[in-house]
Amino acid sequence: MEKFLLKNIENPNSADVNEYVKAGGYKNLSKALDMQPKDILEEVKKAGLRGRGGAGFPTGMKWSFAVADPKFPKYLLCNADEGEPGTFKDRPILEKNPHLLIEGMAISGYTLGSEYGYIYLRGEYPYAKDVLNKAIQQAYEKNYLGDNILGKGKRFHLAVYQGAGAYICGEETALIESIEGRKGQPRNKPPFPVNAGAWSMPTIVNNVETLSNLPYVLEIGGEAYSKIGSKDCPGPKLFSVSGCVEKPGVYELPMGTSLKDIIYKHAGGTRNGKKLKAVIPGGISTPVLPAENIDCAMDFVAMQKAGSMLGSGAVIVMDESVCMVKVTYRALKFFEHESCGKCVPCREGTEWLRKVLHRIENGQGREGDIELLTDVTWIMSGKTFCPLGDGAAGVVTGMLKYFRNEFEEHIKNGSCKFVS
Amino acid sequence: MITLTINDKEITLEKPVTVLEAAKQAGIKIPTLCYHEAVKPFGGCRLCVVEVERMPRLQTACTLTAADGMIVRTESETISRVRRGILEFLLINHPLDCPYCDKAGECELQDLVKKYGPTVGRFKEEKRRVPESHKDQILARNMERCVVCTRCVRMCNDVQGASAISIMGRAGYSRMEPFSSASFNCEYCGNCLTVCPVGAILSRLYIHSFRPWQVDREVETVCSYCGVGCSLVVQVRDESIKRVIPKIGFGLNKGLLCSRGRFGYEYINSPDRLKTPLVRKNGKLEESTWSEALTIIADKLTKIKKADGGSAIAGIASPRCSNEDNYVFQKFMRMACGTNNIDSISRTGFAAAQKYFEDVLGQGITANIIEGLKNSETILVLGGDPTAINPILGLSIREAARRGAKIIVLGNAKGLERFKTLQLVPEVFKEADLLDALLVEISHAKGVRGEISAIDKGIRMLSEKSAGNKNVQGFDELKNILMSSPSTSIVLGMDIVQRTDGHRALFAIAGLTYLLEARLYLLSEKPNEQGLIDAGCVPDMLPGGRPLSIHDFKRKFEDLWNGAIPEDDGMTLFEIIEGARGNKIKALYLMGENPVFNLPGKFYIKESLKALDFLVVQDIFLTETAEIADVVLPALGWTEKTGTYTNLERRIQLQKKAVEVSHGMEDWRIISEVSNKMGYRMDYAESKDIMDEMAKVSPLYRDLTYREISYGNCLWPYLGEPLRGEISEVPEASYVANQYKEDFYLSVEKPLYHSGTLSRRSPALLKMYPEPALKVGAKSAEKLGLNEGDRVQFFTQTGSREAAVSIDESIKDNRVYFSNNFQGDGVYSLMTCNIDKVTKAPGIEGCEVKIKKL
Repeated sequence: MEKFLLKNIENPNSADVNEYVKAGGYKNLSKALDMQPKDILEEVKKAGLRGRGGAGFPTGMKWSFAVADPKFPKYLLCNADEGEPGTFKDRPILEKNPHLLIEGMAISGYTLGSEYGYIYLRGEYPYAKDVLNKAIQQAYEKNYLGDNILGKGKRFHLAVYQGAGAYICGEETALIESIEGRKGQPRNKPPFPVNAGAWSMPTIVNNVETLSNLPYVLEIGGEAYSKIGSKDCPGPKLFSVSGCVEKPGVYELPMGTSLKDIIYKHAGGTRNGKKLKAVIPGGISTPVLPAENIDCAMDFVAMQKAGSMLGSGAVIVMDESVCMVKVTYRALKFFEHESCGKCVPCREGTEWLRKVLHRIENGQGREGDIELLTDVTWIMSGKTFCPLGDGAAGVVTGMLKYFRNEFEEHIKNGSCKFVS
Repeated sequence: MITLTINDKEITLEKPVTVLEAAKQAGIKIPTLCYHEAVKPFGGCRLCVVEVERMPRLQTACTLTAADGMIVRTESETISRVRRGILEFLLINHPLDCPYCDKAGECELQDLVKKYGPTVGRFKEEKRRVPESHKDQILARNMERCVVCTRCVRMCNDVQGASAISIMGRAGYSRMEPFSSASFNCEYCGNCLTVCPVGAILSRLYIHSFRPWQVDREVETVCSYCGVGCSLVVQVRDESIKRVIPKIGFGLNKGLLCSRGRFGYEYINSPDRLKTPLVRKNGKLEESTWSEALTIIADKLTKIKKADGGSAIAGIASPRCSNEDNYVFQKFMRMACGTNNIDSISRTGFAAAQKYFEDVLGQGITANIIEGLKNSETILVLGGDPTAINPILGLSIREAARRGAKIIVLGNAKGLERFKTLQLVPEVFKEADLLDALLVEISHAKGVRGEISAIDKGIRMLSEKSAGNKNVQGFDELKNILMSSPSTSIVLGMDIVQRTDGHRALFAIAGLTYLLEARLYLLSEKPNEQGLIDAGCVPDMLPGGRPLSIHDFKRKFEDLWNGAIPEDDGMTLFEIIEGARGNKIKALYLMGENPVFNLPGKFYIKESLKALDFLVVQDIFLTETAEIADVVLPALGWTEKTGTYTNLERRIQLQKKAVEVSHGMEDWRIISEVSNKMGYRMDYAESKDIMDEMAKVSPLYRDLTYREISYGNCLWPYLGEPLRGEISEVPEASYVANQYKEDFYLSVEKPLYHSGTLSRRSPALLKMYPEPALKVGAKSAEKLGLNEGDRVQFFTQTGSREAAVSIDESIKDNRVYFSNNFQGDGVYSLMTCNIDKVTKAPGIEGCEVKIKKL
């Protein structure tokens, strides 16, 4: 398939505006400004574009809620707080192809009637910050941003806001709290951000990848876009493959490419040809799939059927040398550290789970610990304020579902047989 | 109309509320922890989860808005399991040190675990340890007990508006921390303490001294500090006050308190309290008996009355005493001593302003409900910081700001720094010029209102004179805001009344009130300034604000009081002091007042009072004035007696006796004993009898009983009749040209933590603000080359003092502030005063100050 999101990425100067324009960039913005916003929205709906952040919410629908709200100004926030272990799919766009994102945001801003955009950038991406700032400056200079874009009388202003390193700020309401200058913690919903988000104004939060798809939708038209990949959730998709594979990296493939193909065809198969044990298909918060279940299409619908989630499309591959108890423990350590502390089940539950897992991994597991883990995850899942707690509980539940025997062995033997 | 079903019970709601609220209305209890009615919902503890049909997950009742057709279950197997689980979660890191924790017995977590929680925990690991990050002198924090419900933070940010604390850290490291590093850099309102469900925030005033269930009684009463009159609850054990707590939703303060109200109660148990009467013998005050002391007073007053007439006697009443005390006092002065020379320290501001406004705009013009401030679109604040003088009133202003109201500050107001829309800094002592100009401009724009001809005429005269000075930054914006505001409130502090031409500002404010149809609020530093006026402790009015000069009123009172009331208006406060100096006044009776300390010109006043033949002081402490008295009588203080108080919005409230003490007598009882000895009978067995009499004679208190008052909504005029007189002419303004040469002016600081006589004997308040500092604005400090903490000496014409410098960013003009609330010589000792010819209030003078770094 021809690459679009990662087009031109091999060019060492790909982040420069001239190179981007040379490769055909910003012509879709120009095209968009000649269209009516409602027609662009129609194209997005027709394209069937779904959010690439993890939840897969239809972008067109989200946008029409925001457009319907009569309040102004509206804010367009780009969620670049890519912080989940295993996920690094947005990074090439941010660092190598920033103008694609800027163009996508300018088009989106015009479509939504929003004149102000922010890129909420992950705190740990300092390089991307420099690249983005430079790109934004260039875009202003070339009149792709500003008060009179391309001389067509439309306004869109864009700035980068860097987070302080909290995973939770990837949750849209926490992101908004953070951008308003407060501690990043999720807000009560309703009201939803599309009606009362940043500074209580209609706010659209979209992922980097989602916004970067906009120029493509305009280039080939919604109709053609909807034919790429899976029928329910079409379009190109970035997959970040990591773990025990020969060629880890970010791959742009049509939505619905099979997980097996991603690992074996594109990422070169398992490292040193070791036996595959399990795959976490969409970032650490998505339930694990055992090796025998990986023959499934990577899209929002099929992955749900397979008992997991597409998430951000971050494929973590684990071979036979990996201890699943340790993976679980490590995941929980992450969730405990990243729990914002707002709600009790997540704040206390992640800590408890981590402590029990630590004990089991270190050979001090007790009889009944698995039941305890099950019970604690039950109290957490579905009862936390935001999905972070659900994700944490889901990891444990998923691991216990397929690899319970490893946990039992640890407890029985009082030790971990995997050497790491 | 919304109809929903909770636990098979159909509930109809008038307006959309949360499911929790709806359940409460239907009498269904849902357990909560992070929810608190005084703050916004949070949804963090997840205890209030309920099942809602057609909703996939459990929902938190505190955040879910009830919708039509909703079917809710608040109890089920699953819900119980979740609640049990949540409580187990909460306990994994909770220290469970209940036997040692002061909260045990009134701890919400304890109650919840007992009802819903597990009996045994399964957590086997080590609990989190959280060492106390710093020690505060007032608030004891124990973050191991904290359940991170954030009620305290929400209270501090969203209600109190102090924004002094926040949750720092995340996950298990989340804890409430003050932003300052040393101690709580906050307003010490202690409202965080009210809402803390566990023992994470406690007061050091009572820590480890009693158990919540070990109180002998709880008495609902009213605070004694300022003119707001907050309701609070006093908990008593062994006849001493163990603590003061608010009751959420109760009283006009709705359960909020300020530092003075909550922590300032210790003065009542001070060892400095007067216990026995003192009589001056051979130049020294010696302990005496009640009968000797009272006989001396009666004899002496009788003798002076006979020799020099009643007009040689004067009395100063107290805005700290109750309506009953003050009523009896003025009756005693008028009937037993035969004089109208009755005034009080309220003459220095409140009484003067109040009289001016009532003369011009009609009685009751200042009787506006404090809570109403919240709904104003525009609030003009001038002459002081409401959040320090009347903190709970200040909270209403902050609430209004949060609701989008425009807050305009004239001069300095520290507590409104983060809430103001516009601040104007007029030249010091020339505020009236700005107000005149504002009035003229607004009247030009609005035209003549034509309802009160005297004001219309006054405004016309001003505009003919093209008076005023609009050359102050922000003037036009101020004018535009006021012109376009649909509802305006004016909050007036006494600072700008205390000018030799203070009446000019008063006229301008009266004019603005009239033209903008604004609501007027007078800040009141003492708890009963309004009540004392209504009780008749003014030289020209009888109880109920009835002018002495109107013969019909006088005769009516004479009939009821069985005797003759002296004909002429008496002397005002400063005339009394001048009279004492000039030997026109021979005897002075002071009830609960300390003029030597509380009035400008300490040495002058002391000398004047020393010139008296006879000085009686009744008070609860041996004050600076009592030290020079001939007879000193120990009175009873707050919580030791029952009486009514009238607050600044004219709400009449009952202060109740809570403790039994063996020393001292109620002020009214002492006075009636003296009166009886002087031959004018006063037979009151208890304070209620006095209120019964007041209800009979005072047209403001018609048919008022303690029973009615105790319901808390006796707002003036409660069944009473206001007097709607109208003056024909506004008193002519006199212009005083102040020509000052110095660069800095000294002003009186009105600190949040202090009020003077009472607060300087309250250890907790002294810990918050231990010694007076010279407050200097940032610009002035730069000019003077001063840094925080530098020692300076400052001089006025009257004297000098040494103090440490405290730099206050909120002071925008060239004023420096010093307080008069500490032991020793305060700012008043460095000042003198002139008298405003119209209002008879003091125009504070001698404020030119030189500052020298030491």
